Amino acid sequence: MITAYVTIGILTPLLMLLSRTHKTTSLMLVAHTLIHLGMTGILVINITEPVYYLANNYFFIDALSTFEVLITSIIFFFAALYARGYVDGLLTERELSIKNVKVFYLGLTTLLTGLTLAFFSNNLALFWIWAEVTTILSAVLLVTLNAKENITAALQYVFVTSTAMLFSFIGLIMLFAVSKQALGAGTLNWDVLMLHASEFSPALLGVTFAFTFIGFAAKAGIFPFHTWLPEAHAKAPSVVSVILSTSVTSVGLYGIIRMYALVHPYTQLGAEMATVFGLLSMGVACFSMLQQKNLKMLIAFSTVENLGFMLFAIPVSLFWVLFHSLAHALAKALLFFSAGIIRRHYHSTELSKMKNILQQPFAAWGLIMGGAAAMGMPPFGIFLSKWFILTNVRPAMLSVLLFFMLTAAAAFAVALTGTLSPDEEKKEKYRPSRGMVLSLAGVLFLLLLFGVMVPEDILALLTATVEGLA
Amino acid sequence: MIDAAIKTIFVLLYVTVAFIMTRRDIISLISTYATQSFLLACLAGLLYMQERHATLLWLAALILIIKMVLIPSTIRSIQKKMKRDMEFAYVSPTGSLMLSIVIILLSYGALSHLLRELGLGQLFALGAITGVSFTMMGLVVIFSRKLVLTKIIGYLAMEDGVMIFSMFVAELPLIIEALILVDLFMLIILSTILALGMETTIEEVHKRLQVLVGEEK
Repeated sequence: MITAYVTIGILTPLLMLLSRTHKTTSLMLVAHTLIHLGMTGILVINITEPVYYLANNYFFIDALSTFEVLITSIIFFFAALYARGYVDGLLTERELSIKNVKVFYLGLTTLLTGLTLAFFSNNLALFWIWAEVTTILSAVLLVTLNAKENITAALQYVFVTSTAMLFSFIGLIMLFAVSKQALGAGTLNWDVLMLHASEFSPALLGVTFAFTFIGFAAKAGIFPFHTWLPEAHAKAPSVVSVILSTSVTSVGLYGIIRMYALVHPYTQLGAEMATVFGLLSMGVACFSMLQQKNLKMLIAFSTVENLGFMLFAIPVSLFWVLFHSLAHALAKALLFFSAGIIRRHYHSTELSKMKNILQQPFAAWGLIMGGAAAMGMPPFGIFLSKWFILTNVRPAMLSVLLFFMLTAAAAFAVALTGTLSPDEEKKEKYRPSRGMVLSLAGVLFLLLLFGVMVPEDILALLTATVEGLA
Repeated sequence: MIDAAIKTIFVLLYVTVAFIMTRRDIISLISTYATQSFLLACLAGLLYMQERHATLLWLAALILIIKMVLIPSTIRSIQKKMKRDMEFAYVSPTGSLMLSIVIILLSYGALSHLLRELGLGQLFALGAITGVSFTMMGLVVIFSRKLVLTKIIGYLAMEDGVMIFSMFVAELPLIIEALILVDLFMLIILSTILALGMETTIEEVHKRLQVLVGEEK
């Protein structure tokens, strides 16, 4: 199956290079994501035991990797549907040059393959390499727009994450040495490490976790390495913001979860670091949200808050953390897709310039519903995960978490209320394309579906994931 | 004999990072990095003579090709405009050097116990400590310099530190080392193009990106 993912991942960019029009290039991206989603659907239905690839088992497909690829597939499919109309808008406004359209689509299609290979890497060093590749591709996507400030945002992203990732690599080298000491031959294959972790020194396992945490936390946008995230999300084209906010940050969280599963039976350090940095991220993000005057920055800080919550909840309930990551990805897709339409209408993402956003009904309801979902209100999926996680934490911790969540909710409510006030100025109405509206509707449908009825196959996959990590 | 040669290279490597911390001339910064890479290849070669692991020999060759030749020449070819980096942030060059001494001592204090637990001999523990110190000193360069190009050299010094750590703590499979170097090469090309964009125009960046993806020749 991985061969099929790689084949389509190589073929699509090659065909894109031959394509002459925006329409065909965008159709190729839609086709790539649709095939990708179909293949992932087959995996979800058929997943039983892990399947290994290459002679040294460097790649594997297990429940956790399948679940992460499923989130990526869904998000990329809707992003691809949304992209054509959105890129047309960027071209009309001269925010994107026609020469860069192909770079933009090539970046997206390659990023999908890079993310897929990162999630399917059994070898942690290989995972690290693919995670770095996704950083490079995300930075390329960031600078496709005709804005010089995007260069600063891209450089900040590259420097913060790549520098932190070097510390992760030191942790991985240590882990290799630890396995070599215990097993005679070193390995970074996660399945082998899981099998023999009880033979490793707990102190050294703790140190390797601490080192790897630095890089993966930077990739996930966790405090104090979150500085790149709001800038990059706000400056990126909305399609890219969606992917950065969901799949790319998921790579970091995925790395932390893999390492946590490895060390947590033998050392408390993993749980302690997750709790402390999770809470700090939530605290910093929710207070930053209160000060935001820019819609995309507000959504970006909400991502930091939710990622902090997921990190905090790893020792509480892995099942609900993973479910939260799926629901959060859909909520963020809805918010950033809506923000993209709002940006076209008001020619700005400054909240003060947005009045009577109901002039754009799809985007306005997308923002309202997405905001409510991100806050954790019923009937959206995030409500379920927040509820089940909060009912399992200590009362003292519960009050802190509730305080942070209410602050974030207040920030969203204040920002959105302001945008509903009457608009005296007459503006030419922006008409979103059918693909853009369809993406919004599709994401909203799934967000509601996962709030009221989670499909059996996904529940089975989540259960298999948690069992696989135990 | 080999031990003594390895220790001498450690000292020379520290001298190169001290140079990177203090130099203002961009060309000499890039040359210093190339020299550092040459020393790193020598280190891998000497370790091969001691350990007889073929991976080390291949690694030496890869370092020579990618880190000593390819990366410096690419940076030079993309970046022709900037000649000098005059600005320092947070710490002066002298402060950076003082900080480096503190970093070396701290790395020794923090890691010596852990490395003993890993069963490393004296020379290998020294190599591992040099690797971590190097990484931290590269980080100081990133923080203390304002020009993006110098920050890139700082990042490369950090990566050299990780490579030294890897050589002395646990040799990774060659395929992984090779992929890391290719990844580093891509990262450096992109960062240099972006650094160029800071000094010129966004169009210049786009032109180079289009060439990079093979769209425009």
